[in-house]
Amino acid sequence: MKVAFVTPRYGPEVMGGAETAARQLAEHLVADVGFEVEALTTCALDHITWDDVLEPGDSTLHGVTVRRFASTSGRRPEFYALDGRLRVAPAEATMAQARQWVEWNGPVSPDLIDAVAASDADVVAFYPYLYHPTVHGIGRPKGASVLHPAAHDEPALYLPVFRATYGAADAICYHTVAERRLVQRVHPVAAHRQIVLGLGVDAVPGGNRPGAEILGLAGRPYIVSVGRVDEHKGSVMLAEYFRTYKRRRPGPLALALVGPVAARIPDDPDIVVPGVVDEADKADIVHDALVSVSPSALESFSLVVLEAWVQSVPVVVNATCPPTREHCERSGGGLWFGDYRQFEAVLDRLLADEALRRRLGENGQRYVEEHYRWPALIRRYAEFLTGVAGSRRP
Amino acid sequence: MTHTDSEPDQRAFLAQVMAEITDEAKRRRSHDLPAGTERDLDELFLRYSPLSGRGGSVTAALRVVDSNAMVDPVVPVASQHAGGVAVKKGLRSLSLWYMSWITDQVNRFSSGVSRALHLLADQVDDLGRRVDAQRIVAGPVVRDPRAHRSDAWWVDEAVGELTAIPGRVLHAACGNGWLVQRLGAGGIDAYGVDPNSSADGAAEESGTDLRQEPLADHLGAVGADELAGVVLTGVVDGASLGERARLLELVTDRLAPGGTLVVHSLSPDGFDAPDAPVEVDLAPGRPMRPGAWEAFLPLAGYHAVQTRVGPDGRDYLVVARRPGIREVGDGSGRAE
Repeated sequence: MKVAFVTPRYGPEVMGGAETAARQLAEHLVADVGFEVEALTTCALDHITWDDVLEPGDSTLHGVTVRRFASTSGRRPEFYALDGRLRVAPAEATMAQARQWVEWNGPVSPDLIDAVAASDADVVAFYPYLYHPTVHGIGRPKGASVLHPAAHDEPALYLPVFRATYGAADAICYHTVAERRLVQRVHPVAAHRQIVLGLGVDAVPGGNRPGAEILGLAGRPYIVSVGRVDEHKGSVMLAEYFRTYKRRRPGPLALALVGPVAARIPDDPDIVVPGVVDEADKADIVHDALVSVSPSALESFSLVVLEAWVQSVPVVVNATCPPTREHCERSGGGLWFGDYRQFEAVLDRLLADEALRRRLGENGQRYVEEHYRWPALIRRYAEFLTGVAGSRRP
Repeated sequence: MTHTDSEPDQRAFLAQVMAEITDEAKRRRSHDLPAGTERDLDELFLRYSPLSGRGGSVTAALRVVDSNAMVDPVVPVASQHAGGVAVKKGLRSLSLWYMSWITDQVNRFSSGVSRALHLLADQVDDLGRRVDAQRIVAGPVVRDPRAHRSDAWWVDEAVGELTAIPGRVLHAACGNGWLVQRLGAGGIDAYGVDPNSSADGAAEESGTDLRQEPLADHLGAVGADELAGVVLTGVVDGASLGERARLLELVTDRLAPGGTLVVHSLSPDGFDAPDAPVEVDLAPGRPMRPGAWEAFLPLAGYHAVQTRVGPDGRDYLVVARRPGIREVGDGSGRAE
């Protein structure tokens, strides 16, 4: 069985959620079930510019053959004005405007598209739906095309050009039921073969250092939010909510925003922003946190929520983010907030009730063990791909 | 991998905790946080909420309108440059009469719009409550353990009708996937939907394509002519007339030309029997007699309608086909 992954970026240097997910699935298919796997990708690392920074050609990474192709254009400066115009009413965009949006969003790599069309893989998996390689490559290989949308409720999902992208898939692999519900609300793909898979998590051994020490908090209790510190990810909102909370509830509690920093967080003695930390430190920081907060409304899966549960840490998520809320509702491992009042009430309750924190954390840990451990998850995925192979849609 | 049997318990526990928290948040809403601060915090939350999130709550959307309804003519004068504050103050003083004249009109207009939206929202709320009190309850899935099993009298015949048809076959309501697995074993590309929450868990355990979705929602997300076959069990038995008609419209549109419809239903006698499934007591409608299907399906565009009553008369099977393109080689190549 041979599987090819098509993704605009690929490699351990890439921090994006969808690309990381593609790489993890590819590597586990090789290591756990012995599939032959290749990744067809560009030479880019930056998802804003799509500049070619890696050499084109073939290499091997953890058993996966990586085939890189140069791009003829990345994201064009004109993209932003067009995006601004179309996002007001994306479903009303013309097909020509939507196609232009895809071209200008990039990365455009005709050689990559040719390689996708010529692929001899039994199944070609496209990850995510949003970019040029998927839009122009899906449905073209001889083998079955499986789409991993990694979709969330963003304006682009409604652009008419993506109806054909979803329609050309022979099968769809969703992260969550919420993602399936969203995609089916926008595109008529309910009769496609599908699986709700998600992603696997590994236990990351910590370094047994106190989290507060790593953060320079000198023994203070803290809550943590892991992931890109970005306005779009809700980090600025969380920081402002926490500052308001602390004005109303003075005390030693602190907030740690851990991850690459892409937004300015106002200086505050109760908020620490250590930037990127190594995996062992991150595990220690999460382990000692009272609560892990995922403030983002735009997630299609959220590994950080599951990683908190691996360590039995309860989570608090954005109520308007269906996938993370689905995790909480299915597992009983976390609570959610939809405005400041609710945020304050949730935090008050969790901080005052250690038994509740423990119960939520244990529920979350059980949920991860049952649904998102790699060996079982990759076997389900392999069975799904085997079933899809050779069964192109008419 | 095992499905969590305790998931319903966890959901109930979580629902209780969140209800308590929501009550507490509502109780606090009446005091102590300045209204302007709360509006700013709400707006910050909504700025990066998903489209459906923003569109989902009229109250939240109105809060954003309210927070932006007032245009302030007194511009801020802070500056990082020496003398900047004085210059800005001067400009502000010179232009304030003009800006006030403009903003006063804008503010009157925007507060009028905001008030109209609030009135509209109140009326929509009131209408929703009135409609809700008179709504027709959706028919429950009638789960008949005697008939919904792979060794029931009608199953071989249904599978035979669906064998070798090109394309996907949908089974609703699929339960734990017993018929989907049976169809799959016969080489039929089948999947199932069921409004019951156990369907997704059963899919994870069995590796079959089962989804927890209301049937009408599911069919609404299927493209026209996409299905080769549809099997309905326990779905139409207790449906209301309107619900049954809507379902039939959707199924007919989604079935490909030449596609097969299979319906298994309790008979009216079986529906009224003392040992009928308990769901019949909650049903807004009653099953049709087999003859009614024979009369009405042709009017909906089906042909070759066959019905067969089960051995004890408590249930029956309906099989019908949508007209399709004639088989290659029959000499016509035209639609029937």
